Formats: sequence, C-alpha cells, structure tokens
Amino acid sequence: MDNIATSNEYVRGTLKTIVLNLLAEHDRMYGYEITQEVKERTGGAIALTFGALYPVLHKLEQEGLLITESVEVDGRLRKYYSLTTYGNETAQTKTNDLERFIDAVRLLLAPKNLATE
Amino acid sequence: MKRLQNDRIDLIKKYLHSCKLDPELFPEILDHLACEAEERLWDGKPFEQIYDNIMETADGKVLLDLSVDHKNLLAMENSFNDIVFEGRNKLYGAYDLRKSYGQTIQRSVIMGVTLFILIVMFPNLYARLVPDPKDDDIAYIVEAKPIDIREMITKPLVKLEEPAPAPKTIRSLTPEVLPDNQVEMENLPPALEELEKAQPDSRTLDGVEDITIIIPPAAGVGSAKSSPIEVEIKNEETFLNVEQAPQYNGGAEAMSAFLQKNLKYPMQASRAGIQGRVFVQFTVGSDGKVENVAALKGIGFGCDEEAVRVVKLMQNWMPGRQAGIPVRVRFTLPISFQLN
Repeated sequence: MDNIATSNEYVRGTLKTIVLNLLAEHDRMYGYEITQEVKERTGGAIALTFGALYPVLHKLEQEGLLITESVEVDGRLRKYYSLTTYGNETAQTKTNDLERFIDAVRLLLAPKNLATE
Repeated sequence: MKRLQNDRIDLIKKYLHSCKLDPELFPEILDHLACEAEERLWDGKPFEQIYDNIMETADGKVLLDLSVDHKNLLAMENSFNDIVFEGRNKLYGAYDLRKSYGQTIQRSVIMGVTLFILIVMFPNLYARLVPDPKDDDIAYIVEAKPIDIREMITKPLVKLEEPAPAPKTIRSLTPEVLPDNQVEMENLPPALEELEKAQPDSRTLDGVEDITIIIPPAAGVGSAKSSPIEVEIKNEETFLNVEQAPQYNGGAEAMSAFLQKNLKYPMQASRAGIQGRVFVQFTVGSDGKVENVAALKGIGFGCDEEAVRVVKLMQNWMPGRQAGIPVRVRFTLPISFQLN
C-alpha cells in the first residue's frame, strides 16, 4: 500500500502521457480497461485509481485530444475513449518529452562517478 | 467473465447515489466499479468482501472529489451566460445575442476605428494623391480659342468605269400560246434580218452591233439558275405547235422514200379495194425518238396497224425546237394508201 502511494506521487505528473500513449496503441479503450492494462504491464507497480484517471480523461476530452462514444454493454453504458488526430500528435510529442525526462532523471540518480565514466 | 447480478449492481448504484455522484459521471463510474467487481468475482472472492473493498477504494471523499473536479471542468467551459441561462429557454434569442456580444463588439470596434482613421486621414490622403503646385513649378497658360471645324469637301475621286460594251439586243420572248384577242403586238418575235445584227434578249437595247461576246448572266440574279429549270419543265411539256417543227432526218423526200420502202399494202385492204389516208399521231421527243404512236383516224382493214408499225420504225427524227431548245412535239402524219 505504501509502495502504491509513493508511486502515485510520480504518476500524477505522467498520467496524461501514460493515458495518451496507451490510447495511441489501441483503437479505443474504456476507463477500467486502461487501469487493467497499466496494472498488467507494470506488474502492479503502478495502479491507477479511478479517482485520478477519470478527471484526466475528462480533461483530455475537453481539450479535444480524445473523443468518446457510449456503447451499451451488459445493460450498462460503457464510455469508450479514442484519440483524435490532434490527440495522436500530442501523444507522440508527450511520449518523447517523457522519455527525455526519464533519461535526464536517470542521469541525475546515477552515482556521480559512474555518470562521468 | 462472470456477469454481475442486477441486485448487486443496484447495490452499487444505491451507494453511488448516496455519495451524490454527478449524474454525468454516474454511468461511467458504475461501469468501472461493476467491471472491477466482476473481475474479482472471477478470482473467486465473495461479493461481500468485494463490495467492502469497493467502498474502501471509492469512498465518499474520492467520489466527491470526482464530482467537484468535473464541475470545475465544466465551469471552465461554461461562461457567465450559461450560468445566467441555466434552466431557461436558450432558443428565445437573448442567449444568442449575449453569446455573440463579444464578437459583435469586437467587429464594430474594428470597423469604427477604421472608419474614423479614414475620415481623419482623408485630407492628408487627398493631398498626397493630388499634389499642390509649388511656387517654382513652371506653368504654361494655354488659351483656347474656339475653332470652327468645317468639313472639308473634296470631290470624291470616282473613277468612272467604262461600262462593258453592251451588245445590241432585240426583244425576243418565248412565244406563248394565247387566244387571238390577248396577243400583244409588241411581243412579236423579231424578224430574221434584225437578229442578224443583234442578239435575242428579253429587251431591246442599242448596243454594239457586231459584238460576238456572250456575256454570261450575272450570278445571283437568278436567271442562270432558273433557266435550266424552265428548260426542264419545257422538256416535259408536249407541244402541239412549235417554232421549228420536227422533221424526218433527211427531209420530206427521205421520209417518203422510207415509207415507200417499208409500207406494205395489207392483203385484206387490197382485196377489199380499200384506199385512203391514215392519220398517225405520235410524239417526237427532244432526243428525236418517236413515242406514243397511235392511229388517230384510219381506214381499217389492217392499214392502221401497218401505218403505226412503219411509223414506229422511224427513229431518227430531228426534234422540234421552241426558242432554240429541243422540245417534245405531238405530231400527226397522214399516210395515204392508194391502189394502183
């Protein structure tokens, strides 16, 4: 539990990029599917709570990066999210930015003598 | 995947309602929680435990945060007008007016400023376009005097073309068959002596006498075109009287010789002692061929048939002519049968 709480701190800043990247890989996804995908691929290291996920999805939708469609599944309305063309472009730039940031962080975290070698 | 029973879904619904979740978020969160519950049921956990778990993760505070977040998001989009007109008739017109108020103001300000600047700048612009004369500019005064402009009358240099020498012509019209009282004396055909010195034409003209050139009729007048048609029509016509009667080739003597040679006195007629004249009527075509041979008045006893037979043998006639054009002429030839 403690582990998840700490990871959430870092997830908050990268959540947008994670969601966009996942949607770029898939045609369309719904909220629960995204949380499951993240959970499976990280082996449970990152767990998205719906309390964090949905505001991000709604914000992205309002910004015009995502479009939604509601489909009735098992008597319940399921809201699918997919990327717009603008969303696709943004997903690419954001992913690149994050990768560069991670590289930079790695350099910072590495012991100084190792980094210079 | 195990399907969640309706009563259990209702349980989750009731819980979400109790937490006052935003109705716009409701179906999405319900689906999420239901999916989660189904997944855990699949893992073999009892529903009660799952329900407690859900309550724990989706506690009131998280749901409230979600609702507030969503409202904030919408508030960013909604303007003051949306708040004013919430729950009121937006189609009435006032909403549109208020919504487009900003744009209208912006446009009118731009237009007004542009117009104002133009008006203020107008004298300046005018001065730039129409420069004032400077003191050191050299000017010329041009006095304008009215000048009478008269048309220069020059005699047009008309080269009088020598008219082509017209041949002397004499009136010679195609004779028409008319009753005596209608015949005009003017239209009589010209005498042969007159024709020696002049060309036949539709009117009499004093021209050059001994000219031999034949001027073709002017194109477009129509005479050139119409004349062959007239000729054609006359060809079709069969004349009874013509200027130049058809003639047997070789003259009357040749014809009588031909008849002497070919005519045979029919046996019946000679036996019966019949003699007389058979009038054979036939048409001499414009090509000189003898057609439509028939005995007009005969003496019988085979003489009529014999006369017709012999006339049919005569083929080389000279056709009759009307105004110099060969025409069909109906011709009657008496053939006498006489016993010696």
